[in-house]
Amino acid sequence: MARAGWLALALAAAALPLATANTYYIYLGASVGLLVIVTAGLNVLAGFTGQTSLGHAGFYAIGAYAAALSVTRLRLPMAVAVLLAISVTALVGAAVAGAALRVSGPYLAMVTIAFGIIVEGVLVEWVSVTGGPGGIFNIPKLSLARHYWVIAAVAAIALWMTANLRRSAWGRAFVAVKDSEVAAESLGLSAYYVRIAAFTVSAAFAGAAGALFAFLNGYISPDSFTLQTSILFLLVLLFGGLGQIAGPVVGSLVLVLLPELLTRIADYRLILYGTLLLASIYWLPAGVVGALRRGRRPTAAAGANSAGPSSGPFSPGGPAPSATGAALTVERVSVAFGGVAALSEVSLEVPAHRITALIGPNGAGKTTLLNVLSGYYAPDAGHIALAGRPIAGRPPHLIARAGVARTFQTAQLFGELSAGGNVAVGVAGPRLGGLLGALCGTPAARRRERELAAGARDLLAGLDLTSVADAPADSLAAGLRRRVEIARALATRPRLLLLDEPAAGLTPAEIASLDGQLARLRDAGGPTLVLVEHHMDLVMALSDHITVLDGGRVIARGDPAAVQRDPAVIEAYLGAAPAAAS
Amino acid sequence: MYGLVALGYHMTWVTSRTMNFSQGHAVMGGAVVAYALLVGLGWPFPLALLGTLAALAALGAVVERVAVRPFFLAGSPAWLLSTIALGIIAENAAMLTFGKDARAFPSPLTKPILVGGAGFYPQELLIPLVGLALMAAVQLLYHRSAWGKQLKAVAWNGEAAGLMGINVPRAVMAAYALSALLAGVAGVLLAPLLNVAPTMGTIIGLKAFAVAIIGGLASAPGIVVAGLGYGLVESFVAGYVSTGAREIVGFALVIAVLVLRPWGIGGARPSRRV
Repeated sequence: MARAGWLALALAAAALPLATANTYYIYLGASVGLLVIVTAGLNVLAGFTGQTSLGHAGFYAIGAYAAALSVTRLRLPMAVAVLLAISVTALVGAAVAGAALRVSGPYLAMVTIAFGIIVEGVLVEWVSVTGGPGGIFNIPKLSLARHYWVIAAVAAIALWMTANLRRSAWGRAFVAVKDSEVAAESLGLSAYYVRIAAFTVSAAFAGAAGALFAFLNGYISPDSFTLQTSILFLLVLLFGGLGQIAGPVVGSLVLVLLPELLTRIADYRLILYGTLLLASIYWLPAGVVGALRRGRRPTAAAGANSAGPSSGPFSPGGPAPSATGAALTVERVSVAFGGVAALSEVSLEVPAHRITALIGPNGAGKTTLLNVLSGYYAPDAGHIALAGRPIAGRPPHLIARAGVARTFQTAQLFGELSAGGNVAVGVAGPRLGGLLGALCGTPAARRRERELAAGARDLLAGLDLTSVADAPADSLAAGLRRRVEIARALATRPRLLLLDEPAAGLTPAEIASLDGQLARLRDAGGPTLVLVEHHMDLVMALSDHITVLDGGRVIARGDPAAVQRDPAVIEAYLGAAPAAAS
Repeated sequence: MYGLVALGYHMTWVTSRTMNFSQGHAVMGGAVVAYALLVGLGWPFPLALLGTLAALAALGAVVERVAVRPFFLAGSPAWLLSTIALGIIAENAAMLTFGKDARAFPSPLTKPILVGGAGFYPQELLIPLVGLALMAAVQLLYHRSAWGKQLKAVAWNGEAAGLMGINVPRAVMAAYALSALLAGVAGVLLAPLLNVAPTMGTIIGLKAFAVAIIGGLASAPGIVVAGLGYGLVESFVAGYVSTGAREIVGFALVIAVLVLRPWGIGGARPSRRV
C-alpha cells in the first residue's frame, strides 16, 4: 500500500518533464523537490529529535554559496561542487550544533535565529567573496529538464535516507533523547552528542538543497535566505507532518502549489502562511500525513502475539561474574539542596551478585542516593567506586557506560517507540554504528539491525513480554511499562542494576512474578541489584542485605531478620519503639 | 529601548514559561496604531497615546488567548510557533491596511536642542528616560502590589497558585497584556526616529529577544543592564566598523553568551530534576 503510493509518486515526478513542455511547471516541480530535500533533513532534527531550528536558511545559503563559488571561482565540476557544499555545511552544522545544543527551547530558537542572521549579514557585507547584496551571477546551469531530474532523484534519495535512518539504531536514539533525555542517558547515550549528529545531518541536507538551488537559478543573492525562509521550512514540515517520512512531500507540494493557484490574492500570502501554521499546530499535531494515517489505521493491536522463542530459562548474558566482593562502595557521600542535607555521610558496601535493598520512610534520601549513584546529582562530598573505579560526579551517560543501569520511580519509556524498540535502544547503548551506513542502509547496517532486534526479542522473552514487543510503549499499562523498563535496563548488560520502586503500582500477581524474575536473575549470576522499595514483603523475601536510611543517614544495615529487629528501624517507621519507653 | 521590549519577554516568561516570539510585531503595532490615530484620525497626542496603549493591551490579551493558552496548559512548546504565526499574520494585516511603504511619524518633540553647538533631538533623550521610568514602575508593581504578588506566585508554582484561588490563566493574560503594552510604548517612542512600516517589527523583536536572553530571561535587572550594554556595543560597532557589521557582532555576542553562560548574565544556574 505505502510502497505502491511511493512508486506512483516517483513515476509521476519522473514523468513531469515528459508530460509538459511548460518550463514554468518544471521549475515549480524543481522548487518542490528542493523544499523536500531541506525539510526531509529538518525532519531528522525537528521530527525525530524534537529540536526546533529557525536558522536552516543559513545552511541553505552556505550550501548555495559554497557550490556557486567552487564552480565560478575554482572551476570545479558541478558534481564535485555539490559534494563540497554538502561537506562544508555539515562541518558548519556540527560546529553550530556544538554551541547551540548546550541550550534548548526558546534559547535554542534564539541561537539558530542568530546563526541565520549572521549568515545573512556576512553574505551582504563580505562583498569581495559573496558579491554583497547583488549576489553571484552567471552560475552555469544544466538544461532545466535534466536539472529537474537531478533534483527529483536527490529528493528521492533524501527521503529514502530519512526512512533508513528512522529504522536504525541512530533513529531510535534520536527519538529516545526526544521522549526522555534522562532515560536515554541512563542507557549510555550522550543526548548532546546524539543531537549534534541529528543537527549535522539536517544541515548537510539543507546544504545539498542549497547547492542544487544555485544551479537551478544560475543566480543567488542574500534575499533568498532570510528568517522568513527558515520559518517557511518549518511550516512545510509542520503542515506535512512532523516525524512522518512523507510529511515533507505533502507539505512541499501544498505550500509551493497553493500560492500559485491563488495568485489573485498574492497580497494575502503571509496571512495564508500564518493561518496554515496556526491551523496545523491546532488541529494537525502530526500534520496532514499523520491525520490521514490515524484515520486509516486503528491503533496497533497490543495483543498480537508474535511467534517468538518461548520464554525459556532466563539468560541475562551479563559480563562474566567477576570475583565476589564489593561491586559498589559508597564512602561518606553527602548531598545538600540549598542548605537542606538530603544525604549526610552515607557509606554503603554493595556485595556483588547479591540483592541489596534500600529502605526508609519517605524523604529518607533513597531516590537521591540512586540519583547520585547514576550520576544525575553530583555529590558534594564523598567517594563512590564501581568495582574499584571511582565514578562520583561523572555524567550519567558515562556512568551508564561503566556498567550502571537503572529504572525510574515513574517508568520513563520512549513513548514513540515500540516496547521492542525501547529495549533495542538499551541493547545498542552508545554503540550506534556508522551514521553514513545508517543513512544508506548498507548491508552491514542491516545486519547489525537484525542483531539488535534479536537481542531485544530475547530480553523481552526472558521477562514474558513477547506479546507486547510490537506495541507502542505509550499504550502499555503501568505494570507492563515497568517490566519493559527493566528489560531495557538489562539490555545494557549492566554490572549494577538500580531499581527505583519496581513494585509500585503493580498487582499482587505481578509483584509475585517480579519477585521470581529478580531471584532468577541473581541466581543466574546476573548483575548486582540495588532495590529501593516500599513493599516490605518483597524486600524481606528477596534481599540478601538491607540498608535503612532515615533523614539522609544510614540508621541500620544487615540481613533482613536483623534489620526487622533493629530498634532504630522500628522507631523510624513507627515512632518511639515500645521497648525503648522503659 | 531594547531593554523595554525585552522586559516584555521577561514578564510573560516568568509567569508562564512562555513568551510572545512576535513581540517585535507588537512594537510595530504600537507605531502603526499611534500613526493611524494621530495622523489618520487627527486625535491629539495624549488621547492617541492612551488609545494606542489600550489597543496594545487588548492585542496582548488576544495573543495569549489564541496562541498561548491552549499550549501553556498542556505544557506543549507549540506556543513558540503559534506566536510566530500570529506575528506573520499581524505583519500582513498591517501591510494591507497601512500600505507597504514607510511613513514619517510627526512628533511634538522634533525640534533639535542646541547645547554648545552640538544638536540632539529631545526624543533621543526621552527614550532612555521613559524606558527606565517604566522599568522601575513595572518592578514596583511587581514587588509591591497584591496583583504583582499574584503574578509572582504564579511564576513560582502555577499549580499551587491555582489551588490558592489565583486565577492562573487570567494572571498570564494580564502579563501578556502588560508585555504588549510595554512593546507599544516602545513603538510610539521609536516611531519618530525610525519610520513607521509594517516590516519594522521583526528586527527590533529579535534584538530585544537577544537582550532578554543575554540578561537572563528570569532576571529583570540583568535585562536592563544587557539592554544598555547591547545598545552601546551596537553604536560602537556601527561607528567604528560599519552599520552592516552591527547585526553580525550583536548576534555573535548572543551565541557567545549562551555558550558560556546559558542561563544569562543575571540568571541563576538552573538545577535539574530527575
